[in-house]
Amino acid sequence: MRAHLLAIGWLLWPMWLVAGSSVCAADRTLSVTIYADDLALITDHRDIDVKGGRQRIEFQDVSAQIRPETVSLSAADIGIVEQNFDFDLLTPAKLMEKAVGREITIVRVNPATGAETREQAQVLATNGGVVLKIGQRIEVLRDDGLPVRVIFDKVPDNLRARPTLSVTITGGHAGIRPATLSYLTPGLSWRADYVALYDESENKIDVQGWVTLTNSSGSTYENAQTLLVAGSPAQVDGTARPTNMRYSPPPRPTVQQAGTESGSRERLGDYYLYPLAERTTIANLQTKQVSFLDVRGVPAEHGYEFRNHWLGSADAPQSAKTIYAFSTSAHAGLGDQLPAGVLRFYMRDKRGNPQFIGESRIEHTPMGSTLSLATGDAFDVKVRAVVDRRTRLGPFDWQTDMRYELSNALPKAVTVRLLQEGLWGDARITAESQKSTRRSAEVAEWAVTVPANGRADLSATFDTRY
Amino acid sequence: MWLLLAGGIAAASAGGAEVSADAPTDLSVTVYRSPYRGSGSINLDRLGGFALISETRTVRLPAGISRVRFEGVAEGIEPASAIVTGLPEGIIEKNREGALLSPSALIESAAGRPVTLLRSNPRTGKSERLPGKILADAGGGVVFETAAGIEALRCSGLAESFSFDPVAGLSATPTLSVLVQSREPAATTVTLSYLARGFDWAADYTATLSRDDATMDLGAWVTLANGNGVGFPGARTQAVAGRVNRESGEVEPLDAGGPILAHCWPRATTSDSPQLLQIDLTSLGGGQLGARKGIAPMALAAPQLADMMQEAQRVEQEQLGDLKLYRVPERTTVAGRQSKQVRLMDRAAIPIKIVYGADVAADAAAEAFPAVKLLRSTNDAANHLGLPLPSGSVAVFAEHRGERLLERESGIRDLAVGEELEINMGASPDVEITAIREGIDATSAPAAQRDVSERIEISNARSTPIQFELRLRLPEGARLMRADHPLGQKNGRPIFRLAIPAHANVTVRYQVRHSAG
Repeated sequence: MRAHLLAIGWLLWPMWLVAGSSVCAADRTLSVTIYADDLALITDHRDIDVKGGRQRIEFQDVSAQIRPETVSLSAADIGIVEQNFDFDLLTPAKLMEKAVGREITIVRVNPATGAETREQAQVLATNGGVVLKIGQRIEVLRDDGLPVRVIFDKVPDNLRARPTLSVTITGGHAGIRPATLSYLTPGLSWRADYVALYDESENKIDVQGWVTLTNSSGSTYENAQTLLVAGSPAQVDGTARPTNMRYSPPPRPTVQQAGTESGSRERLGDYYLYPLAERTTIANLQTKQVSFLDVRGVPAEHGYEFRNHWLGSADAPQSAKTIYAFSTSAHAGLGDQLPAGVLRFYMRDKRGNPQFIGESRIEHTPMGSTLSLATGDAFDVKVRAVVDRRTRLGPFDWQTDMRYELSNALPKAVTVRLLQEGLWGDARITAESQKSTRRSAEVAEWAVTVPANGRADLSATFDTRY
Repeated sequence: MWLLLAGGIAAASAGGAEVSADAPTDLSVTVYRSPYRGSGSINLDRLGGFALISETRTVRLPAGISRVRFEGVAEGIEPASAIVTGLPEGIIEKNREGALLSPSALIESAAGRPVTLLRSNPRTGKSERLPGKILADAGGGVVFETAAGIEALRCSGLAESFSFDPVAGLSATPTLSVLVQSREPAATTVTLSYLARGFDWAADYTATLSRDDATMDLGAWVTLANGNGVGFPGARTQAVAGRVNRESGEVEPLDAGGPILAHCWPRATTSDSPQLLQIDLTSLGGGQLGARKGIAPMALAAPQLADMMQEAQRVEQEQLGDLKLYRVPERTTVAGRQSKQVRLMDRAAIPIKIVYGADVAADAAAEAFPAVKLLRSTNDAANHLGLPLPSGSVAVFAEHRGERLLERESGIRDLAVGEELEINMGASPDVEITAIREGIDATSAPAAQRDVSERIEISNARSTPIQFELRLRLPEGARLMRADHPLGQKNGRPIFRLAIPAHANVTVRYQVRHSAG
C-alpha cells in the first residue's frame, strides 16, 4: 500500500515542479567573448514568455561567478523593475535555520523493530543543536543518538541550489519574444601557446600557435559562439588582480624591434580578435585549445647572451643564455601578430625525436617585430665577470676595471652577446680590449667570439662620476 | 528544467562519435630537472622538475567528426603543452576535462536530476529504493527531495546513499581529448606529446678518496623519479642536463574531487562537552606532486655497488642544442611513484688537490674560526675526466681501517669540460684563523687617509703540511699597501697562497689604506 502511494507521488511530480518555478524558455544561443585577463562577456539570446504585467524571471544557468552589477536584459516592450542576485545557498544547516518557528515532520525509526513513528514538531532554535517543541514537550533532536529523519515540506523561496539571477519585469503585450541577457564574469581566460620546432642544421623554425582557453567559472557554456580578444580592458572596480609586491628583476626584453606591419585579422579598437570558426561547448574546468597559426621554415638565429649587472662579480662561471631570434614580419617571418603567451621550443635529438629545450613568455607582439627569446642556460658556454679593481679618483669619481672570462666547451666557435648593464648615463668606457657599442646610456654591448673548446677574455675600464 | 537538461545532453553528443585511443604502443619519457635547483639531489616529497612524454597510439576513426580520447596520461599533464601529430585532417580542438570521476563530482553532476535514494532499514538490513532528486550539491551538504518531502543526506542516523544513472564526461584519470574530422574511416598511428610535472632527476656522485688523499675515484648515478601515479612501461628514457627556462604558467583547473560533505544542521546534544576547533590538514590537489613522505632517494646505496657495476649499462650522452641529453640505452619502465637509478659514469684515479681556505674582510678583527676544506680538480682529460658533469649531490667517502666511511655530503653545479671541479668539504676545526687589527694610523692632510695594520694567524693542528688560501675582501676604494707574504689575485680579490707545515702557526701581516679621495 505504501509503495503504491509513493508511486503515485512520483507520477505527479513533474506537475508540481513546473508550477513551483518561473523558469525561462530552454532554447538559448550563447556567445562568449573572452579577454586575455580573466574576464569574459557572456551574451545569452533566448526567448522569454512575457505574461503582461509584473513578472519575475529567473536565470539559473548563468555563470556562477557572474558580476551581477554588469547584467543587462533587453527585449522588446518590457521594462525592468529590479534585478536581484541571490546567493543564499541551500544547505542542510540553512534549511533548518530557516525552519525556526515553523513545523517540520520528524520520523523516529525504532532500531529494533524498524517501525516508524511520525510526529509534527516545531523548531525552536538551531544554536549548536536543534531544539524542538513536540506537543508540549521540549526535546533536542537526536539527543539519544537514535535515528530520526527530519522532513521539510518545502525549500524556502530564497534558498537556492546555486547563485541565481532574477529580474522582475513589467511586460507590455503578452507573448513569447526574443531577449538578450548579457553580463561580465571572471573565471574565463585565454592565452596563446606556441610550439616551435627548431632545425639546427637549417637554422629554421616551424611555429604552431594555439589559443588556450580555460574555464574555472563554475558553469558550462554550451554550444557557444566564441570570440577571443587579445587585450585586457582595465577593470576599475575591486575585481582587478592584486599586483605582485615581491621584488623581481625586470624581465629580459623579448621584443628587439617592434613591428610596424598590419595583419588581416579583425580588430576591436586596438585589440586583435580571434573568433573560433565553429560553435563550441566550454565545459566547467575544461582547458580547450584551438589552432590559429601554422608557419613552417621561418629563418631563425641561434645565439648566446650574457647580462651582467653593475659590479656583478662571481666566483663561479655563470652560464650564458641560449637565445633564439626570429621575425614576425610577413617577409621571412611568421607573418602574423602574436597574442601574449608561452612559446615552447623543441629540437630533434640524434634519433630524430623532438625534445623540449625550454620556453619563453612573449607579450602581445605586432607583426613585423623581431623577437629574441631566451630558452635556458647554455651548458657549455659560460662567463665569469670579475671586478678586478675599484680605484677612487676623486670624491665622487671611481674607476672600475672589469674583466669577463668567457669559456666554450663546444667543438665550434660561438659568439656571445655580452651586455654590461647599470651604466646610468654617466659611465664612460676609458679603455677596452674590444670595441663596444653603446645601445643606450644604460648598457654597453660587446660581441665576443670564443673559439671552439677555448677561452676568450674581455676587459674594460669604466669611469663613473656620481 | 527537464527540457533544458535534455538540450544540454544533446549538445554534448552533437560533438560526434566518442573514440578511445588504444593504449600506447611506444613511450618515451625525457626528464628535466627542477629549474630552481642549482646543485644537490632530488627531493621525493617535492619533485619540482618535469618531463616530456611522447606516446604512440593507434586510433580508429569513423568518417565524420569524432572525439578521440587519450586515457591514462600523467596527472601532472600541462594540457596547454599537448601536441598531437599524425591525424589525417588536423584537429578542430583539443580539450582537457578538469572534473574527474569522484563521489562529489557524481553528486554535482546529478544535482537537479533524478537519482535513486538507497536507505537501509535498521532491522531487516534491507535497502529501500526511493526515486528522488538532489536539490543542492556537495558544497555545503546534500539536500534531496523525495515524494515524502525534503530531507538532508545522512542527518537522520540512518544509512543513506544514492545510486546514479550513468554519467558521461567524467573519467577516472585526467583525459585529453581532441575533436577531429576524417573523410573516411581510418586507423591511424598518432603521437601525443606533452609536458607533465611531478618528475625530477639529478646526478648523484660518489667520490672515494685514496688513502694518501692524492687521487679520488668518481662515480655517478642518474637518479630520476616519477611522482605521478601513472607509470610508463617499456619506455625510451632520457634525462636532459642544463637549466631550461620555465614560465610559471597558469595552473589549469583540475578538480580531483573531495569527499561528499554530509554537513548537517547543528547536531550538539545535551551531553556534549565543548570541542576544540579541528582543522582539516588535507591539502587540496595541484602544485607539487610528491612521491612519498619520509623516503630518501637511493643515492647513498651507490658506493658499495659501484665496484660491482663497472660493466653494467651506462647512459649515453649526446648534445641537444645547448643542453646535454642522457639516454638510457635500453627501454625501461618508469613506474608511477618510483625513483630509478642508471649509471652515469665511473672514473678512477682522478688527481686532486686539497686546499684549505678562508675568506676574511681585509680590515676587520675576527675570533678564531675554522677554515673550509676544498677538494679540487679540473674537468679535463689530463685529470681522467673531461666530460660534462651535470649538477647533483656528491658524497665523499674516505677509507678508515679498511672500511669506507662517509666524510662529507656536498653539491656539484653543472660543470662543462675544462671547468674547475671544486667540492666543498665543510669546515675543518684542525685549521683555525684569527684576524687581529694591530693598529690604525690616520692622517687628515694633505689627503684624508687611514692605514690599518692587520695580522692574520693561521694554525695547523694536522700532522701533515697543508696548502692554504687566504682570500681578502677589500672595502670600497681601499688598497693593500704592503704585505709580508707574496700576494696574488683570484677573481678580482687579493689572495695569499701559503704552505703551512704540520703542527705549525703562520702569521701574515699586511696594511690596508683607505682614502677619502
